[in-house]
Amino acid sequence: MLEMFEYEFMQRAFVAGIFIAILASISGTFIVLKRYSLMSETLAHSALVGVAVGLVAGYNPLWVAVIVAVLSAWLIEYLRTTFTLYSDAILSIILSGSLALAVIIVSLGGAFNNSLFSYLFGSILSVSNEDVLTIFLFGTPALALLLIFSKELYFIAYDEEVAKTSGIKVKLLNFLLVTVVAIIIALSIRVVGSLLIGALMVIPTSAALQYRVGFKNTILISLFFALFSVVFGMSLSFYFSLPSGATIVLSVIALFILSLVANKK
Amino acid sequence: MSLNFKVPIFDVKNLSFSVRGVNILSNISLEIFNAEYIAIIGPNGGGKTTLIRMLLGLENPSSGSVRLFGKKLKNFKEWHKIGFVPQRASLVDANFPATVEDIVKMGRVAKRGIFSGFSKDDASKVEDAMKKMDILDLKEKMVGTLSGGQRQRVMIARALASSPEILILDEPNTGVDIVSQKRFYKLLSKLNKEENITIVFITHDIGVIADDIGRLFTINQKATICNNPKETLSCEDMSALYGIEAHLLSNHKHEHKEGESC
Repeated sequence: MLEMFEYEFMQRAFVAGIFIAILASISGTFIVLKRYSLMSETLAHSALVGVAVGLVAGYNPLWVAVIVAVLSAWLIEYLRTTFTLYSDAILSIILSGSLALAVIIVSLGGAFNNSLFSYLFGSILSVSNEDVLTIFLFGTPALALLLIFSKELYFIAYDEEVAKTSGIKVKLLNFLLVTVVAIIIALSIRVVGSLLIGALMVIPTSAALQYRVGFKNTILISLFFALFSVVFGMSLSFYFSLPSGATIVLSVIALFILSLVANKK
Repeated sequence: MSLNFKVPIFDVKNLSFSVRGVNILSNISLEIFNAEYIAIIGPNGGGKTTLIRMLLGLENPSSGSVRLFGKKLKNFKEWHKIGFVPQRASLVDANFPATVEDIVKMGRVAKRGIFSGFSKDDASKVEDAMKKMDILDLKEKMVGTLSGGQRQRVMIARALASSPEILILDEPNTGVDIVSQKRFYKLLSKLNKEENITIVFITHDIGVIADDIGRLFTINQKATICNNPKETLSCEDMSALYGIEAHLLSNHKHEHKEGESC
């Protein structure tokens, strides 16, 4: 089992994967409680536009993905708060629009190849030292902000209006949350893939909610499920030569089903 | 009015609100002073909740002004002085991962600094609030498993945890049984009399709390302020307000006997 750690690329993949599991599960808790689950899917597709631009223009795709995902998150939040549009409709429009744009960019640039495939479904082989550095560079402040404002974000998720009348800067913190989530999603697409990262954000929390415990314990269970799925999924990916995003997501779905059955009323 | 020299908690002047040309509230002016107990009544759609939402800055008025503790709403920062319990408070999402203590602790969140944790003072305020609402023994319970009456007390404990000077409650009895409602009215009256907390309360149960309240605001697009509701509230007033024939069923003994109708 431990022989996989003899390979440098696996060491890199595990370091990146474990950090992403921590980021995705903690931010995912707030996203699920705010009924923003579809947001993670949309931002993942927006990040793909960044990847496409990066691949075609020759920039680091992860950096461009972070920038495009953050801009997309701000656009969604602006549209949601300024116009009388349904949130899920906005998310659907930007999701499909982003995917269409990404496909056109890579088609025109002639980059529709294995490189893009690895960003769609994740690939442990492709995680470079530069990627790990980028993940820590953006991921550490993102995690710090989430932890600093966790109580405020929890209050907002519970009742946005009461939080506002208690003096909490709801609008600012909502922008902060979507920004942090956009960064985390863009960083995760190396390991989990843009088509599958939404699952790693939403499913660990959805599974943890089945245990009907308080806020702190829900986050801890969600964190444990995400870590387990990433470690187990990446091991499967290594031994069976499968895309890591797919094995990680199937692992977390297995945990979700077990949690559902174990907590059936 | 001996109280008029004081700065009112709420000073509302000529407040109007309309949506797409339809007037919801017109030209409302009122003041709310420290330690008052005020009930707001009126028909559904009459603008009671809209008025409260404008007082709290959740809706922007079409015209007019609101001052809170002497300050314009946009400049007001001391939101911990205000405890708000909205209409849907007792209808909390059953799956939300929160213990009773998690919810009450929210009342302290806005007060603490960004980098400071939950202090001893915070913990004692949270415990006090739970004691006052008689929910200390429920603190480890998931809020989704509680009854409507228990949830209602949790929501008020959350509002009390910030040590408010005024509690604003918007029909908090939705989904709450009658026994719990009576217990709830007693608690409100106690908070007002013993702790001098100003209470502003939207309700339909005016008969039940008629003995406790100091003033009554009737809101139906316009506001009528009744400074002595026990003396002056008549069936004609109620009929005019609700647009149907009204019968007062009061438990106060001076003017109306139990079940007396106009």
